[in-house]
Amino acid sequence: MLGKGVVGGGGGTKAPKPSFVSYVRPEEIHTNEKEVTEKEVTLHLLPGEQLLCEASTVLKYVQEDSCQRGVYGRLVCTDFKIAFLGDDESALDNGETQFKNKVIGENDITLHCVDQIYGVFDEKKKSLFGQLKKYPEKLIIHCKDLRVFHFCLRYTKEEEVKRIVSGIIHHTQAPKLLKRLFLFSYATAAQNNTATDPKNHTVMFDTLKDWCWELERTKGNVKYKAVSVNEGYRISERLPAYFVVPIPLPEEDVQRFQGHGIPIWCWSCHNGSTLLKMSALPKEQDDGVLQIQKSFSDGIYKIIHRPPYEIVKTEDLSNNFISLQEIQTAYSKFKQLFLIDNSTEFWDTDIKWFSLLENSSWLDIIRRCLKKAIEIIECLEAQNMNILLLEENASDLCCLLSSLVQVMMDPHCRTKTGFQSLIQKEWVMGGHCFLDRCNHLRQSDKEEVPVFLLFLDCVWQLVHQHSPAFEFTETYLTVLSDSLYIPIFSTFFFNSPHQKDTNMHQRQLSLPLTQSKSSPKRGFFREETDHLIKNLLGKRISKLINSSDELQDNFREFYDSWHSKPTDYHGLLLPHIEGPEIKVWAQRYLRWIPEAQILGGGRVATMSKLLEMMEEVQSLQEKIDERHHSQEVLQAEAPCLLRNSARLSSLFPFALLQRHSSKPVLPTSGWKALGDEEDLAKREDEFVDLGDV
Amino acid sequence: MEHIRTPKVENVRLVDRVSSKKAVLGTLYLTATHVIFVENVPDARKETWILHSQISTIEKQATTATGCPLLIRCKNFQIIQLIIPQERDCHDVYISLTRLARPVKYEELYCFSFNPKLDKEEREQGWMLIDLSEEYKRMGLPNNYWQLSDVNRDYKVCDSYPTELYVPKSATAHIIVGSSKFRSRRRFPALSYYYKDNHASICRSSQPLSGFSARCLEDEQMLQAIRKANPGSDFIYVVDTRPKLNAMANRAAGKGYENEDNYSNIKFQFIGIENIHVMRNSLQKMLEVCELKSPSMSDFLWGLENSGWLRHIKAIMDAGIFIAKAVSEEGASVLVHCSDGWDRTAQVCSVASLLLDPHYRTLKGFMVLIEKDWISFGHKFNHRYGNLDGDPKEISPVIDQFIECVWQLMEQFPCAFEFNERFLIHIQHHIYSCQFGNFLCNSQKERRELKIQERTYSLWAHLWKNRADYLNPLFRADHSQNQGCLHLPVAPCNSMYKFWSGMYNRFEKGMQPRQSVTDYLMAVKEESQQLEEELEALEERLEKIQKVQLNHITVKSNKQSEPSKHSGFSTSDNSTANTPQDYSGNMKSFPSRSPSQGDEDSALILTQDNLKSSDPDLSVNSDQESGVEDLSCRSPSGGERAPSEDSGKDRDSDEAVFLTA
Repeated sequence: MLGKGVVGGGGGTKAPKPSFVSYVRPEEIHTNEKEVTEKEVTLHLLPGEQLLCEASTVLKYVQEDSCQRGVYGRLVCTDFKIAFLGDDESALDNGETQFKNKVIGENDITLHCVDQIYGVFDEKKKSLFGQLKKYPEKLIIHCKDLRVFHFCLRYTKEEEVKRIVSGIIHHTQAPKLLKRLFLFSYATAAQNNTATDPKNHTVMFDTLKDWCWELERTKGNVKYKAVSVNEGYRISERLPAYFVVPIPLPEEDVQRFQGHGIPIWCWSCHNGSTLLKMSALPKEQDDGVLQIQKSFSDGIYKIIHRPPYEIVKTEDLSNNFISLQEIQTAYSKFKQLFLIDNSTEFWDTDIKWFSLLENSSWLDIIRRCLKKAIEIIECLEAQNMNILLLEENASDLCCLLSSLVQVMMDPHCRTKTGFQSLIQKEWVMGGHCFLDRCNHLRQSDKEEVPVFLLFLDCVWQLVHQHSPAFEFTETYLTVLSDSLYIPIFSTFFFNSPHQKDTNMHQRQLSLPLTQSKSSPKRGFFREETDHLIKNLLGKRISKLINSSDELQDNFREFYDSWHSKPTDYHGLLLPHIEGPEIKVWAQRYLRWIPEAQILGGGRVATMSKLLEMMEEVQSLQEKIDERHHSQEVLQAEAPCLLRNSARLSSLFPFALLQRHSSKPVLPTSGWKALGDEEDLAKREDEFVDLGDV
Repeated sequence: MEHIRTPKVENVRLVDRVSSKKAVLGTLYLTATHVIFVENVPDARKETWILHSQISTIEKQATTATGCPLLIRCKNFQIIQLIIPQERDCHDVYISLTRLARPVKYEELYCFSFNPKLDKEEREQGWMLIDLSEEYKRMGLPNNYWQLSDVNRDYKVCDSYPTELYVPKSATAHIIVGSSKFRSRRRFPALSYYYKDNHASICRSSQPLSGFSARCLEDEQMLQAIRKANPGSDFIYVVDTRPKLNAMANRAAGKGYENEDNYSNIKFQFIGIENIHVMRNSLQKMLEVCELKSPSMSDFLWGLENSGWLRHIKAIMDAGIFIAKAVSEEGASVLVHCSDGWDRTAQVCSVASLLLDPHYRTLKGFMVLIEKDWISFGHKFNHRYGNLDGDPKEISPVIDQFIECVWQLMEQFPCAFEFNERFLIHIQHHIYSCQFGNFLCNSQKERRELKIQERTYSLWAHLWKNRADYLNPLFRADHSQNQGCLHLPVAPCNSMYKFWSGMYNRFEKGMQPRQSVTDYLMAVKEESQQLEEELEALEERLEKIQKVQLNHITVKSNKQSEPSKHSGFSTSDNSTANTPQDYSGNMKSFPSRSPSQGDEDSALILTQDNLKSSDPDLSVNSDQESGVEDLSCRSPSGGERAPSEDSGKDRDSDEAVFLTA
């Protein structure tokens, strides 16, 4: 199926070895080179996208194969992405690509999606950055969405190698200016190209009205008010233009420390207790200033400690919770489990899978976040207390916990638009520094912390455990996590609403996202896929119902008592947080690993079966309605989605083209220790090679 | 009954191990077959029933101010902690249970007293539900290459094999007998599965008695006969499922493995599944992790990896995949053995069959598979699952591992199986419960001698009757995926294997999130079925109306659809059931569903009935709706029964049971 562009590297020659060397005979290259020039593969550019450099006769290895096969093609670098244009691309455009990402193709890597670049020099793998003296024979790209690409540059002309390698390194690794982000050139070129979608009701929280609406929805308007003191970012560049504070709070107090030290409203519970957040006052040495700060704080506390306000409990997230450093370290270890260079490496880690998982402590961090959220909920729900989240800038763990609490407590946040509105409210308007945390500009590695990803992973645990409670599925979350690295949408590319507004106003631009009030996922897949993304089980989300009769002042009791009752999917939702219940988000992390693929199985099989069944119910319902109205209207057959669901693999809709070679091989990997002949041959080969070196 | 020292203890507390809820006060009853704890809460009167045969260990813990704690661990992974106020009572209960949990005679087992109120004919029909000779016919046997052999008539050749066995046509009685003498416990190569599509087969045997150099001409001829029975291939695989070291160690004892030099055209392969002792210890380690109260992430992950349990599951799966691929893709026949050919061999053959043949993924097919590869081929149920008091070193979770392999496959292929997780859990439960005769004894011979089929009931009939509970709503028989082999990667990676909390932790969590989705789906499916029926009825009506209009005759249309619902059991079923006074009488007077339901439901994850009525109390030991609700509603005097009368009745009925048995 790989056509003529494929070179059977080890296939013909004896004993292929799993190394970085490709055994392609020169004459084969020549024939292929001709074909390359004959076949013109077009590069699809987005509006405003520019080709920067390219190289031809690049061999992209097919990862799943341990013997080194590959596809020839062109490797290009634009100001938006790195793309590989295989020679047989057209052959793949069949029914199976029904669900493909419209923006990012299978062989496209956006510049922001690049995590690490390695070069292979004489079979040694080295990390690449800065100016190179010597150019590698092979390029390995690790992506932030956990894909791994191997490009062989052996047969590429030397100048082309130089140009493409240094181009890629420069555009992905070197520090960048904000205004050089692709989304600006895209917005200029694609202006007015996006139609507004009236169906999308994501609340953007960029107007006073949006906040008033939210206050009303949660009945928070009794004790809290939306203010516009920061209109035009007069007071603080970290705060949004509009936000909500306790009614008695004087507006001068907001100005006092540029918004620091003020309780800002996040969300109100049905019983009136409220989740608040506060950024810490600047650390001062001077006693006099400290005195002023203290009296200011006392004044503030007096306001919110008095009736009608509930008792306040402060959660100091900067000091008494996970540190950002811990999160970053854990994730760096964790992602290495999935950034696999070759099959051998995979099987080596696979043996120690659980201990490696444990060692990363990523799952433990997820568990601690979920636990903290439950603790907060217990205070709000059972003890009728207000919770004040305190953090240095109130824009990292504050965002994470307050949105997690809302997902668990407020069924509205478990609908698609509700969830998007929540992200808009807590993360985008909450001033989470996406630019720094994702290191989009490559300005400082130290700032990079996957806080938002951690949030999505926590939500995934909830979706996994209680899928009927959510309107969206894990596929939605996975696609959302990918859109963190796609610089077409402005949502995840600014540090604060102020930064976004100033940069946008200067240029008099409106990005598709803001304009259409849509979020990244809209229009990302073709229309049909909405079925996949929308979970059909979470049909109607009714009002928050709550039955908390005998809740005690103890987390454990609260937790146990909730879990001993049947789940109300439209009410409070708590996750199981026992060790065995926290799982790896397999769809996101394992999706590119062919070894982890199940042909015709996995959750995709369940989903497609479910869709079939829903369709059946629907068409029957329609037929019945018809009969009832005794109308003989012939209805066109509803198109059957995922008709060939049996052929889909568990990695669907990602990793579309990874297919298993179904040759009758005897397993070797598992019993390698027993050493069959082929293995021995390989070992010999390696031994000889070592002698040569 | 003589082993019950005290039939009833009051003011016993049942500790909720998981949640922080206070222990509940109640009364503990010992009967001939069950331990029953009845809560004192007047309106609920929640009951917890535990079969004696489910008790794995009983542990008396240090006495505290509140009383004497007793910890009961069950074979279905339930853990019960009781606090008995008087040390003396505790000791009596302990001594009684220790004896009751270790019966010495088969006649003491529950199945001999269990009576689901079926007449003789119904019972016989129940035993006929699964018919192995039908199964061989389904495979396409006998044919030109394979025939039914009567060599083991009256168990003359091998007493742990069944009498009906398929062997290659060219294997004469002389060859078979000769080969059997060269095989451990005379378990000669016989057919386990025949793959119609390409004539390849899976055969099974025990290890050869080859020692360091011995050989046997008839055994070599036997393997050739197997090869020749598959004209499509010029070799056979011989798969030794043991680690190579273990196999080599056996050579010193005069056993061992086939020497490739002596057998022509065989390909020999070791697979490395560990022995029963390693498996027993591994499960023990994993259960220790499960017992941890709210384990941390690292406790769990480390514990899981250290137990090695999932690695062993993977080894069994790898072996099954190897054989399935050899048969389906290479078209080669495979001879499988381990040491005696009744543990690992049974696991591997049945996993391979399951992968190859969609029939085994149906409800009935799965029963056939267990009947074939486990029951008929002499898996030592009595020894492995400790039904009778015996050597604890013989106990090992062999079939548990197979059941888990099936679950892992169900997780990976959610639409490929007709049955659901509950089906597997209930089968596991009944392997230990001894409520039905299917899993008694170590061989067919023993079962026939004991006249099991005349004296007990078959589980398969019971499961089949309640099949509505066990259906996987995602399964569809006509689905292309279900029509062939399951396509697994050559060796699925460790990350594909999951911890089965639905089995090992099912008493800890109440409701499992996954199952709830399945229940929703079941509801959707039901809705769709009802709509279909409604549609049909409407169409009929329409047709009638049209006819009527044509004929100008007025006829009242009276067609009304009656959606057939598989509602569990109605209360009327239970109307003849016992009142709370005679717990011990239950085995005599309970209708078929209730007694089994009684202990099953504690194993249950939320049934649909529960879901609909949204029973507020689904906590750990919440018992069967059958027992609890019905009992309480049927006996207005439930609360005030005389304790002395109770015990008296207990004794009487117990003795009565034994007299009949």
